[in-house]
Amino acid sequence: MIKAKHQPQEAAVKFTMLLAGVVLLLMMVFGFIMRAAQGGMIEIDQALFYQIMTAHGAGMVGTAGLTGISILWYFTGRYVPLLAGVFWTFLGLFLTGVVLILGSIFIGGYAGAWTFLFPLPAMSGGFWSNEAAATFLLGYIFIGVAFLLLHLEIARKLIAAYGSIGGALAWPLAFGNGRAENAPPPTVVAAMASTLFNVMGIVVGATVLVSSLVNLMIPDFAVNALLAKNMIFFFGHVFINASIYMAVIAVYEILPEYLGKPWKTTRPFAIAWTMVFLFVLAVYPHHLLQDVAMPAWALIMGQVVSYLSGIPLLAVTAFSLLVYLRQSRVMYWDLASALLVLGVAGWSIGSAPAIIDGMIAVNKVMHNTQWVPGHFHIYLLLGEVAITFGFMAWLVKDPREKGLNILDLAGFAVYLLGGVGFTLMFLISGALSVPRRWAVHVPEWFLQDRLATGFALLVILGALLFVVSYAQGLRKKRTR
Amino acid sequence: MQMTVLAIALFLMALIAYFFIAAIWASGAGQTMKNAERTRSRFILVLLAVGAVVTIVSLKSWPHSVAVTGPSTTVNVTGLQWAWDIDTEEVPIGHPIIFNTHAADVTHGFGVTDPDGRLLVQTQVMPGYVNQVKYTFDRPGTYKVICLEYCGAAHHDMISEFKVVAQSGAEQ
Repeated sequence: MIKAKHQPQEAAVKFTMLLAGVVLLLMMVFGFIMRAAQGGMIEIDQALFYQIMTAHGAGMVGTAGLTGISILWYFTGRYVPLLAGVFWTFLGLFLTGVVLILGSIFIGGYAGAWTFLFPLPAMSGGFWSNEAAATFLLGYIFIGVAFLLLHLEIARKLIAAYGSIGGALAWPLAFGNGRAENAPPPTVVAAMASTLFNVMGIVVGATVLVSSLVNLMIPDFAVNALLAKNMIFFFGHVFINASIYMAVIAVYEILPEYLGKPWKTTRPFAIAWTMVFLFVLAVYPHHLLQDVAMPAWALIMGQVVSYLSGIPLLAVTAFSLLVYLRQSRVMYWDLASALLVLGVAGWSIGSAPAIIDGMIAVNKVMHNTQWVPGHFHIYLLLGEVAITFGFMAWLVKDPREKGLNILDLAGFAVYLLGGVGFTLMFLISGALSVPRRWAVHVPEWFLQDRLATGFALLVILGALLFVVSYAQGLRKKRTR
Repeated sequence: MQMTVLAIALFLMALIAYFFIAAIWASGAGQTMKNAERTRSRFILVLLAVGAVVTIVSLKSWPHSVAVTGPSTTVNVTGLQWAWDIDTEEVPIGHPIIFNTHAADVTHGFGVTDPDGRLLVQTQVMPGYVNQVKYTFDRPGTYKVICLEYCGAAHHDMISEFKVVAQSGAEQ
């Protein structure tokens, strides 16, 4: 094992993960309500549906970011001393942002979706006020500043410890004569790359958020809608991808305890992370494939990089995990290891429908159908969120116990079954041209909606078992 | 096309799942895998080769092309919260229709579905831009225009219709 030099900030991260677990459950309930409403099983006001949709989107993306960076913070804290005060400031700013966002939605009626596509926040058609929209955008800015603070602390410490950005990214090994034994651990490489692209994404996001805020106050200050969309999707894509790339650090750090061998920084690994850094920044036009005013080269880049992005994931992270699993003589399964492996599997499997949708010709008949939530729910629900629950299970795991108890097994089984069924219903609906983000569905679409509602219930049940088990584990006050 | 896409996606997803399940099944057995790095390199080369072929085949003809050589019909469409304003009720079958799409307020998504509800074509409709999309209808019937970009609280109500008919005047 790679020896930890420092003690991670366990209490702060454990507290944050408890908050995140509860919020994830709440957001899943929101998802359940939306699918039930689309299936005609319950009746809710359409304005409320879109408010719930906005809260679900912003809440899930925000919580994925929160859990991803908490995992990164925890494990990076093994290699460099991070200031605890920065994390608490981050959490304070983050929660302030959450309060502003929830207030803007459920008090102010804001329902402009998590993507705040310009100029929708300022043109609600009478459903929400400019003040509500401004409060929502301000909430995002608080959260953005919170992330920026944490990333700057991480970058500062990594650069100091490893000499430069390139040093922390293992460039001497990737592109020079550096030796693997002198390379930084995988956590450091992943933390440095994620920090770099997330900072860039957040800065661009802050720019378009402030521009939208000014537009709300001074309508004559118009932003070019296509430029704003580019900036929003650059920010949004980078942020949600960063959450997954940060969360995978839990796989690098925890699974070696089960596999009996360390996850090493090899040359393919180091090259892959530099490629990931470039791909995450360059791929965002695949969200704009139906914006025909975009330059053709940008759309082609979106399609090509979308495909290339799958290579580091499949050929490096997933491939290495599969090899390690086969080579291991001591691998055993408990809730943590099962969820972490599920997370990599879900992420990898979800990349297939995502990459196919990244082709311009396919996107022409799949974009903004339920195919889209289909693929991103696979690599979030069965990817990032599975890794998050795996990390939580590991945080409170009793080292004397090896194996899945009946409750863990039940939780894992219903979560997996529910997740697979729930996401398949989205994909099938997408193939049947059911649009995404519609409050009202026609009866022809009810079958998948209703089945998805049932599967969502299973997901919630599984997640509830994970969170309750985690809370019980916290009460036992085990220290690592 | 959609069902083919679904079938390919499900096949690839099942294939990836199979490799995970097989490795999970074999975990703990301590297999010796001397050629793992060579296999990885070959896997990357195969992925790159497949990617190159797919890219060339899928982009050989530009999917957003609105170029026409023969007769065509132009239809102007404006999206506004929450309706479509279409300057015709009928379009002819068998030759290209160019839809010029405009947005009067926020960004919308212009999507056309056939009488069976299958999505045929779409484009984003953005304030400040005229986005063009081309489609040639091959059977008569009532087609729907739906909104495929979330545009506010009555987004799902943005549905309109036009007819594809056998006889209609075409313009060059």
